[in-house]
Formats: sequence, C-alpha cells, structure tokens
Amino acid sequence: MNNLFDKWKTRIPRYNEEFRPVLFDALSKKFGGSEKTKVDLGKHFSNNYELYMFAFFLGLYNNERVPIPDKAKKVDFNHAIQYWGSKGNTIGRTDFTILQEYIFAALVARTDVDFIALEKGEITEDEVIKALLQTMEAYTNGGLICIKEKMEENSNYFLQPTAFLRMVLNFKSGTLPD
Amino acid sequence: MAKENNEKKSITRYFTVKKKNGNPEISNTGIEGVENNRKGERSQVDGELLLNQIFPFEIRKYSMFKGEAELDIFKDKDTLMTLINSFSSAKYYEKYAAKAAFLRERAEKAVEDATKTSNKNLQEYKKLELAIEGLHREREKILTFIESAERQRDTLEGYIKETEKFAENAEALDTINKRIKKIEEQINTIEGHIDEKYTIPLFDEKWILMPFEKVHQEFTKKVADLNNIKRELQTEFDKQKGVKEGRRQATADLFNNTIPLPVGVPSKAHMEEMLKDQICKICNRPAKKGSEAYNFMEERLKEYLQSQNPKSKTKEEPVLYPNDYLTRLFAMGTQQEDGLAKLREIKENITDRFEFNKKRKQDLEECREKLEKELAERDKIVGLSNIGADRLTDVFKNYNGWYQDLKRLEMDLNEKGKKLQQIDNELKDKKGEKDQVDINSAQTFLINTKNILRDIETIISFNSLKKFDEFIELMQLKSNEIFQRINLDAFTGIIVFEKRVSGGKTTINLQLQEADGNILHRPNQSLLTSMHISILFAISELAAELKEEGFPMIFDAPTSSFGETKTGQFLNLIYETEAQKILLVKDFLETDPKTRELKIKPEFKTVQRDKAFWIRLKRPFDRKNLKTLDTEIIPL
Repeated sequence: MNNLFDKWKTRIPRYNEEFRPVLFDALSKKFGGSEKTKVDLGKHFSNNYELYMFAFFLGLYNNERVPIPDKAKKVDFNHAIQYWGSKGNTIGRTDFTILQEYIFAALVARTDVDFIALEKGEITEDEVIKALLQTMEAYTNGGLICIKEKMEENSNYFLQPTAFLRMVLNFKSGTLPD
Repeated sequence: MAKENNEKKSITRYFTVKKKNGNPEISNTGIEGVENNRKGERSQVDGELLLNQIFPFEIRKYSMFKGEAELDIFKDKDTLMTLINSFSSAKYYEKYAAKAAFLRERAEKAVEDATKTSNKNLQEYKKLELAIEGLHREREKILTFIESAERQRDTLEGYIKETEKFAENAEALDTINKRIKKIEEQINTIEGHIDEKYTIPLFDEKWILMPFEKVHQEFTKKVADLNNIKRELQTEFDKQKGVKEGRRQATADLFNNTIPLPVGVPSKAHMEEMLKDQICKICNRPAKKGSEAYNFMEERLKEYLQSQNPKSKTKEEPVLYPNDYLTRLFAMGTQQEDGLAKLREIKENITDRFEFNKKRKQDLEECREKLEKELAERDKIVGLSNIGADRLTDVFKNYNGWYQDLKRLEMDLNEKGKKLQQIDNELKDKKGEKDQVDINSAQTFLINTKNILRDIETIISFNSLKKFDEFIELMQLKSNEIFQRINLDAFTGIIVFEKRVSGGKTTINLQLQEADGNILHRPNQSLLTSMHISILFAISELAAELKEEGFPMIFDAPTSSFGETKTGQFLNLIYETEAQKILLVKDFLETDPKTRELKIKPEFKTVQRDKAFWIRLKRPFDRKNLKTLDTEIIPL
C-alpha cells in the first residue's frame, strides 16, 4: 500500500514573498514569548505555519483559489508540513498535527489529478504531490490576499481577539455573543 | 584580652599625644596585638588581624548599638540576610557549592567538546546552544526587572505603612484593606478564567474545521468514485485476460457483472465472525453452512487471505495497478467520517466559550463596582486622620497613587514570575535535548561523570537550603522565647520571619503578628525595641551555641522607652543569658531631695548582674574650667 500523505507532508509549501513583511512578520511571532505577550503585540499566530494554515482554510472555505503569479518570488519558512502543530515544549498549547490530514484531504478533493493514472503508474508520485502543493499554495495565496485586503480596509480589525475566528468561520455579526 | 587553652591574647589601642604650640596633637594611632603561648613566651602580632580573630568583623558590626533607633538594623533587608548567612551553617556549604558548580561546568564542557568533534551533530548542537544562550539572556533580563521591581515594591509598602499611621482608625483601615485585597483577588481569579484568545483554539481545539464537512464530503465522494472506477477497470481487465481467471470470473458472475467491493471489505475479523455465526450481518439473513451465501462469504475470505501472501516472483503476471494509493485515501476518509460528530460539536463549543466569557465579564463588572465602593469607604477612613487638613489632600493623593502602583507592580511581578517559570521549563527541555545529543555522541564515561557531578551539586544546594530554613525556624523560636521573657505579663504578639524567594533571591521580611496571623502595623516603640533586642539576643545565643564561643554585645541606652520595671526585667533576663552583654543605661537614678545629689535607687539592688559600675562626673568640679572635669567609676 502506497502512502501519498506521508510523502506530501515532508514537503515545504511556498508563498508569495510580498506577504512576508505585511502579514507574516506583522501577525506571527517566532521564537517563543508567552501567548499573552504575543496578543499584546498584535501577534495572533505563534508560528508562520499557523498563519499559513489559517490562510489556506480561509481560501478553501471562500473558494479563493488564486495561484501565485509566475513572476512573483516564492519563499518558504523552512519547516516541513509534518512538523506543523507538533507543539512539544510550548507551554499551554496542544498538538494539532491532525490538521495536516484534513488539509491533505481537501487537497485531494480539490486537485484535478488523474489518480487512476497514478495507480497504473502512468504518472509519478512526485507529479501528483507537486499538483497537490500547487493547490495548497493557490488557496493559501487566496487566503493571504483576503487578509491583506481586510487589513487595508480597516487596520484596527485584527486588534479584536475574535477577528480571525469570525473571518475564517464566517460568523456573521450577532451570531456570537460579544 | 582573651584567654583560650592557656594562651593569652591581648589587644591594645595606642596613640601618641604631643603638645604643639600649646595645643594637643594626636598621631601614630593603631592597634597592637600580643600573644602569650602556653610556655609563657610573648610575641607581637598584627593587632588588626588579632582583633578580627578574637572578635570577628561581621559580628562586631552587630554588637555595638547606640540608642534604640540603631537597633532597627533590619530595616535594610540585606542586613538580616547577611547576619543569618554569617551564623547559619548553610554558609559552610557555600564553598562546596562553588566547587561543585565549577566541577559540574568542567564536566559539561568536556562532554560538549567531545560532542562537537562529531560533525554530524555540530549543527544541531550549535542551534541548541544558541537557543539556550538566548533563553539565558531573556532570563537575566527578567531577573533584573524582578529585582528592581521588588525594591520598588518594598519602598511603596513602606510609604503605604507610613501613611497609614496617620489614620485615626487603623484597625478599620486594616479591615477594609483586607476586604479590598479579597475583591482584588476575586478580580484576578475571574480575569484568569476569561480566555479571549480565540485564534489559538482555531488550531489547538480544531475550531478551524467547523466548516470542513462540505470539503470532507467532496473528498470521500471523490475517493469512492475513484475506487469504483478502479474496480470497474479491474473487472474489465480481468475479464479481458480470459480465464486463469476461473475464480475471478466466478466472482464477477456472482455479481451479475456488477463491480465487486474491494478485497478485504468487510474486514477479515468481520467475515470470520459471520461465517462462525452463519449469518450475513450486512443484510441480516441466515447463511447456513453449504448455502450459496455461505460459500460466497468463504470465497471472499479466501480471496483476501491469498491477497496477503507474497506474490510469487517466478510467475510474472501482467497487473493493471502496480500502485495502490487509494486504499490509504479510503481509510483516511473513513477515519475522518468517524470524526464528523466532533466537527459538528465545534459550533456549540465556540458559543459556549463566548457565553462563559460573557458571564465572567459580568461577574467582573460586579466585583469592580464593589471595589469602587470599598475604595470610597477607605478614602473616608484615611480622611479621618490626625494630620492637618492641608496635608491631608497630599497624603490622599499619594496614598491612592502608591496603592495603584503597588498593585501594578505586583501584577508585573506575577507575570514575570510566570514568564521566568516558562523560561526555566524551556531551558530544562532544551538542556534535555542537548543531553540527548551528548548521549548519542560522547563517551559514556564522560556522561556518567557529568551526571554524578550534577547530582552532587543538587545535593549540596538542597542541604544548604535546608540548613538555612532550619536556622530561620530556630531563630524565630528563640527570638519569640526571649521576646516573651522581656515583656513579662504584657502583650507581645509573635515575631515572624517571612521568607520570600523571588527571582532566585531570598529575602527575610520581619513582621510582628497577632496569633491569627494579622500583621501589627503600629507596635509601640517599647514593643518594637524589645522585638529587635530579642532577635539580636537570639542571634548572639545561636552564634554561641553553633560556634561554641561567645561574643560580647554592647548597647548604649537601648531601653529608653522601657520604663524602670521593664528595664529591671530586661536586665534580669540578660543576667540569665550566657553571652557577655555590656549595657549603658541611665535608669535607676534619682536626686536626693535634701542634698540635691544623684544616687542609685534602692530598686537596683533587685537587678541581677555580674558587674555594675556607676560612671559619673567626679565632684566637685569648677563649672568654668574644663580641666577640672574627670570621670569617677564606682563599682556597685
């Protein structure tokens, strides 16, 4: 039995470099610091990959599939998918590696790849994984664009603790207690 | 002069006085030391050194007190710590602790060097070292902050206590302060319960999957469709292949040309169970042994078991699918299907969290209102003070300001304390990771040595701490014992040595408490003086017990607030203690109404003592001529 998931999760997906200063540096904090300090600094995400995952789901749920333009510079944060969510030593956080499987399932569902050809050996595993990663990058890119637009529209929006929750889960105002 | 083991040591202070142009001039001052050994041989030694040997500097510092005010040497918290450290046997561990730390560091260095020689681990090792270094730097910063914040806190507490003295009704103020503290604690607890970090549970509690069900359906449908296509093609392929095929053909026939389920569905265990019970538990019909249904099931199971056998390499059969990715995808779909119930609960969980926080915020609002009322009440009490109205406003302003600052400081300290704890935990983890790299790289001998030396260091620091705590406990016991004896038949309260450890630094806070733990903020001077004397005596007695040698204590008018009866009791107590104490007092004197001469009161006869001298101005003297003044020493 072959395992596409195990192979896929060893990869590092990329994103458009233009989002690095405006989103990744601004919203996520690497290298420790307490959760409270992070929120105080407007750093809602503990790691770059958290923001990446968030943007992916945001793009996925809103059907914002926008491939990174060819001429754009693509960058990554040197952290393979399989390590995303393995919190280990971070106090007060729990492991969320299981989310990797849900991302993968979404990619399989939304990637136009001939899986029968893969079973037959007519196309390679690497080709399929490449296509899956492209889908992932496209949804993430779509999500990142949404976040950036929101930020430009109202720079104070992300100061609210519920900002990201409402955005991705599409809670309309009034559906949750204030 | 000191005598010990038939040796005599004497110290003499010398100076030269010369008359120059009619004025005296003092020069050539110093201390001379002379030692007489057992044989009676005399030798001159360094006077300063001998003095320090006989009457050590650290004790001398706490042996001579001039007046009551000087007795409160404990205002400065470091003084009490220095004193305790000088006498507690914990100090004997200090040099061993330093040595143990040195050896541990050397052993760690040896292991590190050995590990670094292995190129494989070098990069990982450097990364860990950098992380540890960073954490240490952050730790240092926090410690500096804590140290300065604690100093600030002590100052503020001092100001607040000082201001509270102005309040007429100190007891009422104390009660209301306790109520305020309780409400503030409630507020802190509630604030701790409010969790408004809504981004973190998106991941940790998988809230982000709330809308995922639709995508999941797409995924399972796609995988199921792919499976169908795959099997359809397989069946077709098998048919095309003709018939070695008997079995497969048979299978296809049985299904009336429909596509069979994948091999292995239902599972082996389920198939065996159904065969055993002779029932098809999928369609809930009997499948008696030998029946068509039974034989079909048996055939399916055989087919699965055969699929598990290694394929014979000699028989190269053409296969349609050399890969099998879909089985794993199918399993993933099933697994996620099982998790759907949890996804459906997410919305409710989020609403619950919001409701919970909303309720806590309401509680918080109520507490804050209560606090406002109590604060206003306190303002009224502080207002009833015994200082002029013009200063009152200032005191008010400062009092509330200090109080707010103190609260903020305490919150900061609390926060930093937690942060420190977190860094310590991270450091422990990182060091653990580093140790793991060591285990994989360095020699066992080096690692064992390092571990043993680490253990030794831990034992020494544990013992040092234990000895310190024991000494504090003993000192508290002894101080209170003496305290009770000085204040015979009077209210005393209890002396408490409150140990505070914060930011790796230990301080001792001295308090006078009632039996129920209430702090006495305003003890009278006499009680305060007797408390300080009790502690000094306790230290002196403990020093005598521990060092098996006593040192004198010299007090100049320490008991001016005592009154004669209490001074009498105090002097009698001193007589009972072992270490030598020299006191200068101005009590027990009276003027003879007839002769106008000073005399010692008869009550002094009841005072027990080893020796007493009356030092007085020799009479007669010429009021206008300084040269006629002299001191007269009268043994009593």
